[in-house]
Amino acid sequence: MKLLEYEAKEIFINHGIAVPDGVIITQPEEMVLHLHTLGPEVVLKAQVDVGGRGKAGGILMAKSEDALATANRLFGASVKGVPVDKILVEERLPIEHEYYLSITIDRASKQYLILFAETGGVDIEQTASLRPEAVRKALVNPLLADVPPFLLRRLVGTAPKAIAPVINRLYRVFCEKDALLAEINPLVTTPDGVFAADAKLIIDDNALARQGIHVNRDQTEREREAERHGFSYVELAGSIGVIGNGAGLTMATLDLIEHYRGRAANFLDVGGGAGRERVTHAVQLVAGMPGVQVIVVNLLGGITRCDEVAEGIVDANIPQKVIVRLAGTNEEKGRNILQEHGYMMLDTMEEAVRAAVEAVQ
Amino acid sequence: MIFGARDDGIIVQGATGTQGAFHLDLMNEYARGAGGRGVVAGVTPGKGGQVVHGVPVYDSVREALDVHDAATSVLFVPGKAAGDSIMEAAEAGIELVVAITEHIPVHDTAKAIAYARTCGCSVVGPNSPGILSPGEIKLGIMPAQLFSRGNVGVISRSGTLTYEVVDELTRAGIGQSTVVGIGGDPIIGETFVDVLDRFAQDPLTDAVVVIGEVGGNLEEEGAASTDLPIVAYIAGKSAPPEKRMGHAGAIVEGGEGDAASKIRRLEALGVPVAAKPSEIPTLVRDLL
Repeated sequence: MKLLEYEAKEIFINHGIAVPDGVIITQPEEMVLHLHTLGPEVVLKAQVDVGGRGKAGGILMAKSEDALATANRLFGASVKGVPVDKILVEERLPIEHEYYLSITIDRASKQYLILFAETGGVDIEQTASLRPEAVRKALVNPLLADVPPFLLRRLVGTAPKAIAPVINRLYRVFCEKDALLAEINPLVTTPDGVFAADAKLIIDDNALARQGIHVNRDQTEREREAERHGFSYVELAGSIGVIGNGAGLTMATLDLIEHYRGRAANFLDVGGGAGRERVTHAVQLVAGMPGVQVIVVNLLGGITRCDEVAEGIVDANIPQKVIVRLAGTNEEKGRNILQEHGYMMLDTMEEAVRAAVEAVQ
Repeated sequence: MIFGARDDGIIVQGATGTQGAFHLDLMNEYARGAGGRGVVAGVTPGKGGQVVHGVPVYDSVREALDVHDAATSVLFVPGKAAGDSIMEAAEAGIELVVAITEHIPVHDTAKAIAYARTCGCSVVGPNSPGILSPGEIKLGIMPAQLFSRGNVGVISRSGTLTYEVVDELTRAGIGQSTVVGIGGDPIIGETFVDVLDRFAQDPLTDAVVVIGEVGGNLEEEGAASTDLPIVAYIAGKSAPPEKRMGHAGAIVEGGEGDAASKIRRLEALGVPVAAKPSEIPTLVRDLL
């Protein structure tokens, strides 16, 4: 789940990473209380989860006397369709230089990857292609609690030495907060020191509970409902509902629908070990989506037992046509249950997908 | 066989849970049929002394290995404790951990895999369906009835899609040497590169099917690293960007790891890429 800038900055402050002085406001009038502490010029930053926020008009500069009017304007606006309900108002820093700093998990090496660039505020890919010598990388063994000083020296190079402790503090944030991405772009130097002018943190969805996060804001209401039942669910725009077990098989089912010029309404992976009730919920959830005319259930039993799946489909008792393909553990039992209740059973996923595409034409 | 041997003892961590117990029994059924040793012990902290399908359960991996000889662990421990269990197995001297568990926090996985490496222990998964060498050994949850013995290896990031492809191969009369589910998480122990290297040294394997999906670029990296004849299939051609497609690792992020660019790079390496799973057997036969 992505954190908003102000949430990430609160975490930074607690870990000793300096950020500009600022306040979060939810209505323009709150601005008045804080203006005297923020200096003659302020930056107003809409707290919306939108890429390219600055270019989309989500970040505005204002002189102290115009700040209230600017806040009014920003609250009334939307950034790439997202309404603005919180603004971070910050002092405008006397920036000397901008840098880029990020930490991610590198799939190939299975280590933590730190990227530091002498050019900040712009796309890192662009810097990497235009000035590869300005981008420095270090891989850190995940068992290390801190970045070793030799790696910090390598990353910082000729940039100010005061950046090194900031890199290590961000590394600690990255580890302690179960982050998939920790990014400061730009990291800036001023006469007073090193500051995180922006802040981005993405938290691992599989670690939200232990991070005390109980609602995943990145999900739609229906996706959250699906997750409560233990499903992976993504909404698409077509008319063929899809239920599969296992992410790969479900993706392959969607791809096959597209291959035969049909359009899938959703991706729903019931997961491993799906029991009878969960299958019932899955079928009902997909049947309840507007525009779903037919549902393909494509299940291969591994950790999932086919007999339980079949009973779950029968229990769901939905109006739409359900085309079922079942194979694997306890396959014959599952097959028998479905046939007894008159469901359309096909032997291969290709037959099932073609039947579904034909059914909506 | 590229992982384990028929005579190896197996332990199951998380043996007293529903899925652990169910699949422990199926693994032993397979071992009886193949003449292997199968699961010799289960481990669940706090449940030592219990017996699951005739297999004794211990509180720790060390206690189990004091009594039984085993080189491999198959892990069903729930997500939040699974990283710890991988490290426990590695420290106790287990050589191969096959981690079936899904939803392990990725930092736990990264640490556990790094730790296991220091103990000389290999990790397959997490979020893996396991490994099956037909007629020899089954480690994990793959449905054995779909498999047949032969000379084609299979490596996959998926579970059920692997069964789909194995089923297609078997129906087409193409048997498998070893089928490996490397797992659907962003960080996994054995990657395509590692497993292709094992296949290259395996006299029983003449060609390999690589089943990939959106996210990362490890399929291409694997294909570029090997001289083995391979056929690939990539799932997720219709996956929208920035959406996690079921697997924690299946996500097109920042314009990278999409199916089209993977397929392009694989084809540039001369790898035939199947447009749909049912095309795989024909492409494999062309290679053999």
